[in-house]
Amino acid sequence: MTPDHALELRGVRKSYKGFTLKDVSFTLPRGVIGGLIGPNGSGKTTIIKLIMNLIRREAGEIRVFGLDNRTAEVEVKSRIGFVYDVPGFWDDQTLDSQRRALGAFYPTWSDETFHRLAAEFGLPLGKKFKALSHGARTKFALAMALSHGADLLIMDEPTAGLDPIFRRDLLRRLSALLQEEGKSILFSTHITSDLERVADVITFIRAGEIVFSLTRDELLDGWAIVRGDDAVVRELDPLLVKGVKRRAYGVEALVSDGGAVRRAVGSRAVVDKVTLDDVMVLMSGEALHAA
Amino acid sequence: MLRNALRKDLLLNARHLWGILPWFLWVAYAMSEPDMGRITAVGAAFIGSLMAATIAAREDKLHTSATLASLPVSRRTLVEARYLVAFIVGAATYLVVVAMAGALPWSVQHAAELVELKTVLLTLTLASAAIAVMMPLVIRFGLLGVVVFLGAFQLLGVAVMVAFEFFEMRSAVGVFSAVERGIVALHRGLDQPVVILETMAVLALAMWGSFRVSVFLAARRDL
Repeated sequence: MTPDHALELRGVRKSYKGFTLKDVSFTLPRGVIGGLIGPNGSGKTTIIKLIMNLIRREAGEIRVFGLDNRTAEVEVKSRIGFVYDVPGFWDDQTLDSQRRALGAFYPTWSDETFHRLAAEFGLPLGKKFKALSHGARTKFALAMALSHGADLLIMDEPTAGLDPIFRRDLLRRLSALLQEEGKSILFSTHITSDLERVADVITFIRAGEIVFSLTRDELLDGWAIVRGDDAVVRELDPLLVKGVKRRAYGVEALVSDGGAVRRAVGSRAVVDKVTLDDVMVLMSGEALHAA
Repeated sequence: MLRNALRKDLLLNARHLWGILPWFLWVAYAMSEPDMGRITAVGAAFIGSLMAATIAAREDKLHTSATLASLPVSRRTLVEARYLVAFIVGAATYLVVVAMAGALPWSVQHAAELVELKTVLLTLTLASAAIAVMMPLVIRFGLLGVVVFLGAFQLLGVAVMVAFEFFEMRSAVGVFSAVERGIVALHRGLDQPVVILETMAVLALAMWGSFRVSVFLAARRDL
């Protein structure tokens, strides 16, 4: 375990009836934006809850800035800003009274930052939480998360329900946080274009298991999608084939070494760059090597 | 941190706690009835404590439990605040009843009677017992815990009524009579130092046990 990492998970396990998170291990270096992607029910929220110690792990180790997230819980949490997919605040209280009550828990809380963000986000501080739209609720959660100088931001689907303009603004803001202040960010999302825009490291989880944790460049420049007929795809090195989907015109295969595959298939198949959407669809689809 | 947790409970659950206000309509009426002062004051503190003890259930309903557990504060401190709030609200409710006894023009109660040590201690005993039983249930089961707590009393009442009415089991009613006699006897005895010490020792033990169970349950609860 190294304090150079903002976040380290080693062999983390958690079981529910019908679902098990199996020996999850990955790291998030300091000063990096990490994205968690995966199909619904794959375990993204469970991982975030485990990091926040909202649920108890059955095995493994979770360290935040080198500190155990359970034994040093208060210190760890004072350095984390969090945004959950469904922001839970007090419906019948104004945003300002929640700011007063919750901000007090953070030794580094800045009212000035909060008010600046609230003004930028157009948050009506005198309004009750229940009067806000889903987007405004998320903006409030973001303002709370960004107002205590957190070193690590953990966000579960933070861009869901936000309009495209604010989403883009949020991503720009997150990138700026990273560049100017060296913060680290981990967020889960279904909106893969958001990750392509800002994530440095992408971790894919499926059915409770980490399938890969790669840098964006390794993934988007190294991996490729092969479109051709069954015979060509069958010839590919099975170790390189990460997912296959049958289409009306033939087969699409996701491969982890685009260069090698391009050389192998020549002009018999089309080898394109991947998008995260391709990765999501192909890795969540049929079994590997199904062709 | 405890101060922050306490402040948070009182500030963000103020509207929930104002739910005690309708009870004071009953208190206002009861002040005109002879011999109702003590039972009204004790009852008000009891209800106030229970109302405050249900904050955890309310926060479960609002899905704020995860938000709270993500703050840089231990679950133990959050539980400590819950117990303290229950006592503070119970005490405040009791003081309001005392004030009403002295201030309402139609009151036939003597405020001085309500602040007798033995009445205050009896109130503390009953409110503490309610908090000690209810808090772990609410912390573990949320709203369901409140329903279980109140439902258990309802079921006990129905069972006694059925036993008495349909099976002519007069001894069933005896349970309630025994509780009533016990409370009266305790009230009478609470002006003797030995009884006070014994009662406070039992109370302290019950609260300690309840608190430990609540902390244990809160720490193990998946949110």
